[in-house]
Amino acid sequence: MNNSKWDDRTIAAASSSVIIVGALLYYWVGEVQSTVELLERAYGSLKFFNNPMIF
Amino acid sequence: MLVSGYYSWNWLEATHVLTLMISIGSLFIIDFRMLGWVLPDVSATAIADRLHKPMIIGFSIMFITGILLVYAKPVENVQSLWFRIKMILLVLAFINAWVFNSRMRAADGTWDSTRVAPKPLRTGAIISLCLWCGVVAMGRFIPYDWVDCPKVSNTALLWASGCVEQLNAL
Amino acid sequence: MLSNFLSNYRSVTSLAFIVLAVVLVEFFEVRASIYPSLLPFFEWLKYSSWIGYLGITYGSVYATVQAGHLISMAIIGGTVLVTDLRLLGVLLKDIPSETITKGTHQCFKYSLSVAIATGIFCAAGVADKVYYMPVFWIKMLALLAGSGFVFFIKQPLLNSRSHSEIGQWTLRILAVASIFIWFTVAATGRWIGFS
Repeated sequence: MNNSKWDDRTIAAASSSVIIVGALLYYWVGEVQSTVELLERAYGSLKFFNNPMIF
Repeated sequence: MLVSGYYSWNWLEATHVLTLMISIGSLFIIDFRMLGWVLPDVSATAIADRLHKPMIIGFSIMFITGILLVYAKPVENVQSLWFRIKMILLVLAFINAWVFNSRMRAADGTWDSTRVAPKPLRTGAIISLCLWCGVVAMGRFIPYDWVDCPKVSNTALLWASGCVEQLNAL
Repeated sequence: MLSNFLSNYRSVTSLAFIVLAVVLVEFFEVRASIYPSLLPFFEWLKYSSWIGYLGITYGSVYATVQAGHLISMAIIGGTVLVTDLRLLGVLLKDIPSETITKGTHQCFKYSLSVAIATGIFCAAGVADKVYYMPVFWIKMLALLAGSGFVFFIKQPLLNSRSHSEIGQWTLRILAVASIFIWFTVAATGRWIGFS
């Protein structure tokens, strides 16, 4: 294999890590958004106090 | 409120369970190192010292969420046989951790870089593994209703679960 | 020239092929056509297989296996934290990360095997339910991606040379991706129980 710093394994590792982190961020941000939407529908508005969601 | 909130119970319980990966995860790595199962060529006390902090952070989160979970459903928990056994195992686990820690500090340092720790420490590690497996299992059993007060007729079980009403009715 | 490129960049080519396959599956709605054909398997798993039978009939066995699943998950968490926080330079900084990576991988492999075995048992008992849960499929996808990532990408790179020869940022993003994906596998797993 070539000896450069950016060889096959390194490129594969860096790019797959970026893909994984990107995909998971997309998933979790989507989850947070839909949860906030659901809570807003359930309680009228998303309040951080006096909301049954918060103890 | 904790139970009736849209997600509050789930979030609390999920945090309680997922923090296992930090608290028991770190603890088991320390125990496994004592037994020579992981990182055998790394100093055992270095592993125990460095993992102490994440372990304590993990256990603190578990205790806070655990107390809130009991606070949310006090009767179900306190009158649960599994919860009671879990509490006893927790106390035993802490006594074991305390004994283990003082033995580790007192032990002669030459064993530190050997593959397995001296026998007393290995025994402590095995006891710790068993007790914590028991704690996790009892925690998992709590939501099941096999030995809930109305379902049990055995006097010893009723006494152990604190089912006062059913005991008085006998 | 192409064959030269393919032999020199085998991992990159395989990764590109997998990404392309995932995109094609999504665009051509292959998923929607495969999905119904999986239902009989899930029904068989719950009602006809012996693990499904054991799980449904004996609640105590099911709960004990669940506890085993949780414990193996905790050990996976421990090994992932130790390895990846070391790669990030947070924990055990004075111990070479090569030693940590090698020393924990065996334990990771065993606990992942136990988690998968106990997970199959847990899923079998509620197979007709999990089949309809998007979060279950997200977990399976994350598990597949996480395992592929660890065994075909992360470990081969980390074992191939001294970590000082790998770029700092490559090591960091590897560690972040690893923590993130195993957290997702565990968190979505917990959510299956609530849905």
